[in-house]
Amino acid sequence: MSADVTVPSGRVIGYGRAINEALAEEMRRDDRVWMMGQDIGRMGGVFGVTRGLQDEFGSMRVRDTAINETFIVGGAAGAALAGTIPVVELQFADFLFTAADEIFHKLAKWRYMHGGQFTMPVVVRLPTGVVGGAGAEHSQSLETIAMHVPGLKVAVPASPADAKGLLKSAIRDPNPVLFFEHKGLYRVKGPVSDSPEDLVPFGVARVARQGTSMTVVATGLMVDRVLEAAEQLAPRGIELEVIDPRTLVPLDIDTVVGSVEKTHRLMIVHEASRTAGFGAEIAAQVQERAFFALDAPVWRVCGTDTPLPQDPDLEQACIPSTDEIVTAALALAAI
Amino acid sequence: MSGESTPESASREQTQVEIYRKVVTIRFAELRIRSHVEKEGFGGFWHPGIGQEGLQAGAIAAMRPDDYLYYAHRGLGYAYAKGMDLVELFSDLLGRATGSTRGKGGGTVHFADAEKHVLGQGGTLGSNFVMGAGTAVSSQLLGDDRVTVVFFGDGASGRGTWHEAALQASVWKLPVVWICENNGWALSARFEDQSPTEHVADRAPAYGMPGVIVDGQDAMAVLDATSEAVERARRGEGPTLIEAKTLRIRGHYEGDRQPYRADPVLGDEIPNDPVHRLGEGIPDEVRRTIDAEARQLVEEAFDAALAAPKADTSVIFEDVWA
Ligand SMILES: Cc1ncc(C[n+]2csc(CCOP(=O)(O)OP(=O)(O)O)c2C)c(N)n1
Repeated sequence: MSADVTVPSGRVIGYGRAINEALAEEMRRDDRVWMMGQDIGRMGGVFGVTRGLQDEFGSMRVRDTAINETFIVGGAAGAALAGTIPVVELQFADFLFTAADEIFHKLAKWRYMHGGQFTMPVVVRLPTGVVGGAGAEHSQSLETIAMHVPGLKVAVPASPADAKGLLKSAIRDPNPVLFFEHKGLYRVKGPVSDSPEDLVPFGVARVARQGTSMTVVATGLMVDRVLEAAEQLAPRGIELEVIDPRTLVPLDIDTVVGSVEKTHRLMIVHEASRTAGFGAEIAAQVQERAFFALDAPVWRVCGTDTPLPQDPDLEQACIPSTDEIVTAALALAAI
Repeated sequence: MSGESTPESASREQTQVEIYRKVVTIRFAELRIRSHVEKEGFGGFWHPGIGQEGLQAGAIAAMRPDDYLYYAHRGLGYAYAKGMDLVELFSDLLGRATGSTRGKGGGTVHFADAEKHVLGQGGTLGSNFVMGAGTAVSSQLLGDDRVTVVFFGDGASGRGTWHEAALQASVWKLPVVWICENNGWALSARFEDQSPTEHVADRAPAYGMPGVIVDGQDAMAVLDATSEAVERARRGEGPTLIEAKTLRIRGHYEGDRQPYRADPVLGDEIPNDPVHRLGEGIPDEVRRTIDAEARQLVEEAFDAALAAPKADTSVIFEDVWA
C-alpha cells in the first residue's frame, strides 16, 4: 500500500551495509578518497559500518586515529586543501561539539573567508539519534545546529538506498557535508541499486507516500514511524502524504510547499528537541510561501526539550512514537 | 678571515642578500601600515609583526615554492616571503576588491594564495595545528614530497589542538614543521605565567619529536634550523617543533596602549634588530640599493591598493558554495 515512489528496486541490504558499499565504491573509483576515525580500521567501526575497508584499501587510506576529534575534522579540512578527499567518522554525532571549531569554522567558512580560492570536499559521518540507552551525550539529533551555520551541507538518510546514494553524492561534492546516519537504522534493510553510478542528488525530497489529507515531513528514524502511522490512519479515511527531505541543506522546500497546496495541512515530525528545531524552520518557510493554502496551523511532533535519559525506555519516551504521530494527525485532521 | 669565497659560501651570501631584500621590504610594509593606521584609522585590528620579520622570512626561505604554509596573525611577512603580491596583501588589509580574498578579509587578515601554496588563516588560534597535520597527510598519501610549515605564537601553544595534532603527526611521521614565534606575550599574558616550562620546545620530546630553540632575531639561524626540520620531514622522519625566541615590539594590535605591560614598552627600538643583523656582511652600496628599491616597491604597492575600489556588496553572497 505504501507507495515508495523513488527508491529503485535492487538487492535488499541493510543501511549500514549500504554505507559500507558507498565508501568502498567511491574509494575504488577515486584514489584521492580516504578515511580516518577512531576504531574504523582494524575494528571496522563501533557500529561495524567500515568493516573490511582497511583490508581492501590498506592502513594508509583507512586510518585509525587517536581519540582526537579536533584532529579528525581539522586534519580533514587541511587535507582537503591539499588535494585529497577525506571521509571521516566521529563515533557519535554528539562529538560535533568536541570538534566544533573545526566543523563550524574551518569546514564551513574556509572557502568563504579566503575569497573562494579553496574547496573543502570533506564528508563527516555522524552516527546520530536514540538507540538502546546510549545516554545524553551519545544520542542527540543535532542536524538543526548544522543547518544554522552557513557553509555546511546536511544529509539525513532514512533508507538504505538513500544512505548509499546520498553518501556517494556527498563524497563527490566539493563542499563539506555533515552526514547524519541514524544508529537505529543501521540494521534496517531495503532495496538498494546495483549500479555504482546510481547517486541520490542533494536537495531533492523523496515523497515516501502519496496522500491527500495532510502533508507530513519527517527525517531519519521518524520516516518509518510516520509511514506506520499512515498505514493505521488510512482505514480511518486519513491519507498522509509523507515527505522525507533527505537533505536539510539544501532543503527542497518546493516539494513541501507543493504538497501543502494539495493537502492544505502540514505536520512536521522530528526526533530532535522541539525548540528551534528544523520543524520550526520548515513551518516558517511554508507560512511565508503558502499561508493561504493552510487550513490549519502547522503542527510539530518532536523530541522533548530535555537531555536524553540513559534508560532505554525513558529515552524512547522522549522521541515521537507511532502512537503519538497517529494521535496528532487525527487532531490536526479534525481542525 | 682569508676573504676567499667558496661556491658554498658564495651561495650562502646570495641567500643572505635575498632574505635581506625580503626582510627590508616587510619592514617598510609594516611601517607603512602603521602610519596608515595612525593617520587614517582602520576597519579592524592590525597585529604588527615588526621585529619578527627576520624569523618569518628566514624560515620561509627554507621552504620550496610548492611547500604549504599556514601563517600566524602577526604581520604580513610570512605571506610576502612566500611570494604573495604586495598589492594583493595591502588590498586585503584595506578591504579592496583587489585583495587575495576579493575584499572579504579587511582588518584582521585572511590572505591566501592557492598557487603560492599559502593556505590561509583561521580566526581561532590553534586551528592551524590540526589543519597543518592534515595537509601533511595529503602529501603523504599523494607522495608529492611537500612539507607543511605552520607558524603560531607562544599563546596559541596552550591550545589542546596542539596536543592532538602533535601526537598524531608524530605517530604517522607526517611532513610538518611547527614554528613557534615566542615573543613572550599573548595579548596581556606573559609567557612565564602561562607555561610551566621555560621553553615551548621543552614539550616536543613528549611527542617523540625534536624541539629546537633558535634566536628568532637571527634570520640565518632560523633558516638553518628550519632547513634541517624541512629536510627531516621530507625524508619521512616526521615533525619538528622549532621555537624562535623573539620580542613583541608593539602592542597586541596597533593602537593597544598596553596598560598591562609594566616592563618598558619597546616602542620603536628593536633589540638585536633582524634587519641590521642581516645587513652585516652585505656591502653598503648593495644594501642601500636594496633599501631604496624596497621602499619604492612598498610605496607604489600601497598607493595602488589605496586607489583600488572597495569590494562590491555582491561579494557577500559569493563563495559560500563551490
Ligand atoms: C581560540 C582563540 N582564543 C583567543 C583568541 C583571541 N586572541 C587573538 S590573538 C591572541 C593572543 C595570541 O598570543 P600569541 O599566540 O602568543 O601570539 P602573538 O599575538 O604574541 O603573536 C588572542 C588571545 C583567538 N583568536 N582564538
